[in-house]
Amino acid sequence: MTVRRFHAEIGTAIGTGAIGAAAVIGATELGYGWEESGPQSGYFPFYVGLILIAASLWNLVAAFVKHRRPALDDAGIEAPFLDGERLARLGGFLAAMLAFVVATLTLGIYVGATGYIAWNTWRKGGYRVPVALAIGLGFAAALYIIFEVIFLMPLPKGPIEPLLGIY
Amino acid sequence: MNHLKTGAIAALALAAALPASAEWAPERPQEFVVASGAGGGTDNFARTIQAILTRDKLVDAPIVVLNKGAGSGAEAFLYAKQNAADPNKVIFGTNNVYLLPHIAKLAYKAEDLQPVAALAVDEFVVWVKADAPYQTVLDLVEAAKAEPGKIPFGGSQSKDTDETLVALIEQTTGADFKYVPFNGGGEVGVQLAGGHVAANVNNPNENLGQWQAGAVRPLCVFSPTRMAESAPIHDGKGWQDIPTCKEQGLAIDSYQMPRTVWLPAGVPEEAVAFYRDALKKVAESQDWKDYLAKTSQTGAYLTGEELSKFIADSETRTVEVFKAEGWSKE
Amino acid sequence: MGNFDLLMHGFGVAITPMHLLLMVVGVLLGLVVGVLPGLGAPNGVSLLIPLTFTLDPTSAIILLSSMYWGALFGGSTTSILFNIPGEPSSVATTFDGYPMARSGQSTRALTLAFMSAGIGALLGVIVITLLAGWASNFALRFGAPEYFAVYFLAFAAFIGMGSASPVKTVVALATGLLLASVGMDNVTGEVRLTFGFSDLLGGISFLVVVIGLFGIGELLATVQEGLSFRGVSSRIDLRDVLRTIAELPRYWATSVRSGLVGIWMGITPGGPTAASFMSYGIARQASRKGQAFGTGRPEGIIAPETADHSAGTCAMLPMLALGVPSSATAAVMMGGLMIWGLTPGPMLFATKPDFVWGLIASMYVSNVIGVILVLLTVPMFAALLRIPFSIIGPMIVAICFVGGYTVSNASFDLWLVLLFGVVGYLFTRLDYPLAPLVLAMVLGHKAENAFHQSMILSDGSLSVFFSNTLVSSIMALGLALLILPKLLHLGGRLRRRQPVE
Repeated sequence: MTVRRFHAEIGTAIGTGAIGAAAVIGATELGYGWEESGPQSGYFPFYVGLILIAASLWNLVAAFVKHRRPALDDAGIEAPFLDGERLARLGGFLAAMLAFVVATLTLGIYVGATGYIAWNTWRKGGYRVPVALAIGLGFAAALYIIFEVIFLMPLPKGPIEPLLGIY
Repeated sequence: MNHLKTGAIAALALAAALPASAEWAPERPQEFVVASGAGGGTDNFARTIQAILTRDKLVDAPIVVLNKGAGSGAEAFLYAKQNAADPNKVIFGTNNVYLLPHIAKLAYKAEDLQPVAALAVDEFVVWVKADAPYQTVLDLVEAAKAEPGKIPFGGSQSKDTDETLVALIEQTTGADFKYVPFNGGGEVGVQLAGGHVAANVNNPNENLGQWQAGAVRPLCVFSPTRMAESAPIHDGKGWQDIPTCKEQGLAIDSYQMPRTVWLPAGVPEEAVAFYRDALKKVAESQDWKDYLAKTSQTGAYLTGEELSKFIADSETRTVEVFKAEGWSKE
Repeated sequence: MGNFDLLMHGFGVAITPMHLLLMVVGVLLGLVVGVLPGLGAPNGVSLLIPLTFTLDPTSAIILLSSMYWGALFGGSTTSILFNIPGEPSSVATTFDGYPMARSGQSTRALTLAFMSAGIGALLGVIVITLLAGWASNFALRFGAPEYFAVYFLAFAAFIGMGSASPVKTVVALATGLLLASVGMDNVTGEVRLTFGFSDLLGGISFLVVVIGLFGIGELLATVQEGLSFRGVSSRIDLRDVLRTIAELPRYWATSVRSGLVGIWMGITPGGPTAASFMSYGIARQASRKGQAFGTGRPEGIIAPETADHSAGTCAMLPMLALGVPSSATAAVMMGGLMIWGLTPGPMLFATKPDFVWGLIASMYVSNVIGVILVLLTVPMFAALLRIPFSIIGPMIVAICFVGGYTVSNASFDLWLVLLFGVVGYLFTRLDYPLAPLVLAMVLGHKAENAFHQSMILSDGSLSVFFSNTLVSSIMALGLALLILPKLLHLGGRLRRRQPVE
């Protein structure tokens, strides 16, 4: 499976256009007129939103035009944006990151970070499991000491820390 | 995990069953949640209390200060709601706790927080530029009546304490000012000293520096009595020499901002009692008196019935102003 | 010369063994805080405030300000090594610092950054020393229209010329402006664009977006290329440091110009972050090889770093003399002043000369200490790049997320870091420029507030932006910066075309 630059351009243009549309909708709830004392609170978001929609449309059309006439294409619109191998690498990395975020939110950052780092050093780095676990635990301990002990900044914790007497 | 949960539930049930007999003392680290950004008035309030509690060993557990000032402090109060019944989160605010829900659609109600104590009130003073023609607050009001909507009145933020006070002056006198919101008291003070606005209602310590330099001049204070004695600040005058607005003929008895401490609703009564006592000791300490003097605030330890009455009064009066201005969300 | 005597008196106050120790401790703590994104100088400094109650105010402010300088130095380190700005003001340093480090010259990039930072700080302190009285009076002349003009000028200087497609620049700029407008608006008191989500009430934090866009975004780009840092073979040698210092005099013009930009933005309400962007933009426009910026040019590191630090130091002046903090850290220090019983204001200079001039003198000393300490750490930090990517990569990810979380202790921000990581990756790959987005987030809402305040003051008349000499000249300068490069560019093209025809 290959993602072409054309697909990425279109996806991004739709995304930025959606942000613009959301802003315009949010701004109409607030009022976007110009009162005697200057702009209403929705004035800037409304017009900036419109500009964003227009610019996104332009990018969308430009991508289609280049797609239809690839001969004139100088930006390589048909060039692969992500080939299969890279897509897999990127997908794997993102999935691990997503798992890390979910683990942090449910089990706390120390468990999440230990697991995430240990898994990566084991699978991607080729270290043995005990070594990988040690690196992960060491990192979590360093986080705890720097943030919670030295700088008194509480980090998100899950159900396991209280069992160890850490709140 | 399950043991722990049942244990906790049992403990809670026990605490509910045996009122006031079980002593509560913080064992875990305490979070002091501040409804303002770092460096703001509420932040200084919380950090001073934190320092006194720690130094005098009134709280043995470590204290962590968290700033949650977004949305005029609403972030801190939402946090209290999310952590209902957790006695390890102490919330520091002003009157914004019970006033914010009236003017903005927010996902918390004042009932989501349990008042513990108020420790001080901050005064509001009407300031003008030193070379302005106004000698009393009524001169300023007359000028605004002569030119409706033309006299720029600076204040900190929109629909917050400053604009409420200006609206109250307008509603009381029939004058019409042009209110200009800025981001904070310090900024408003400089805007006045630079002559970009005609007046402001800064708290005493927000304008102290400019008064010392003779760039601005106080007209009157919205307090029932004059402020506490102080060393002369400028031109031989100190805080006690500022007349009250009532003396000058402006029919507003008092307008003050309390510095308040809260816990999330649903915490055991013992925890409230613990903090009430600890804060009373803070309020009696010399360090606290120094803090009040340095920041020109008035000490006022209120708790229990007194506090509820103060909050109810303040809320009713302010909401009337909101309604008259059309800010009320109800 | 009065100020000189006072400064000498200040050195007498500042240089005691106790104060020198506090400076070293402060700078080191600041380095740690600055290196870790999200922990940041404001958090670090506010944490020390209760500890300073037992110190006398002069010692306390020396400790806090040294920590601030240390954090400013530390913020540049991660910008250069990992493309993660540790402090908001070091975003612009990533533009050329990171590419230079990636090409194997991390020692050179770090040394350039730290030396320029030191030079910027010194320029700033010299201005404070000489012009303390004048500058604070000058700052009093800034009302809302002048504020707007300053922001406009910063925008104009940066946006004036860029190599990316104009439409994509507009997309980036508009996205940044919209992100900045989420949350409570101070001027109207309205909650905007939150769509009922309480998590958005506080707005979208600039630092969270930047950590995602730059830190995670860059990691994604690295990973898709196959799990390794490009250019690990950085040689670590103290001689490299010395060689880089020797090449600095060549860039004296950039340094001086950036220092002036920083001083201007520090005294006016622009602040260090805007200063670094503006200075970077001007350096790019002034350079003959304008297009090569962003590929690791020394000027691209010197300009933002010098401006950042001179603005950071000069921002102490409005804080002390007017009580207006021009950065988050200054706001915390000002809170400290009040607790110590000192009132910021014009009279502070007269009533507390020991404090004020002790602080100013300490700024000379602690910045020199800072540069020395931070240069000693260069080999250590550069060595981080030798750790295998499979270990350091995930650690950077974890640190990015921790940083995103600690900005405002919000779990929701973890999702934002992830989201903006993907956005940063896509934008970079598709040639959307990130800098306008970031600048719009820094200045967008402030500019809108100042505009709105001006409109209230002038009853809706735009002529207020040309109502006096000060505001007119700043606006005119901004317009010139916006239009002139385009005209020159066009003129150059026409002239080149004629011989062909």
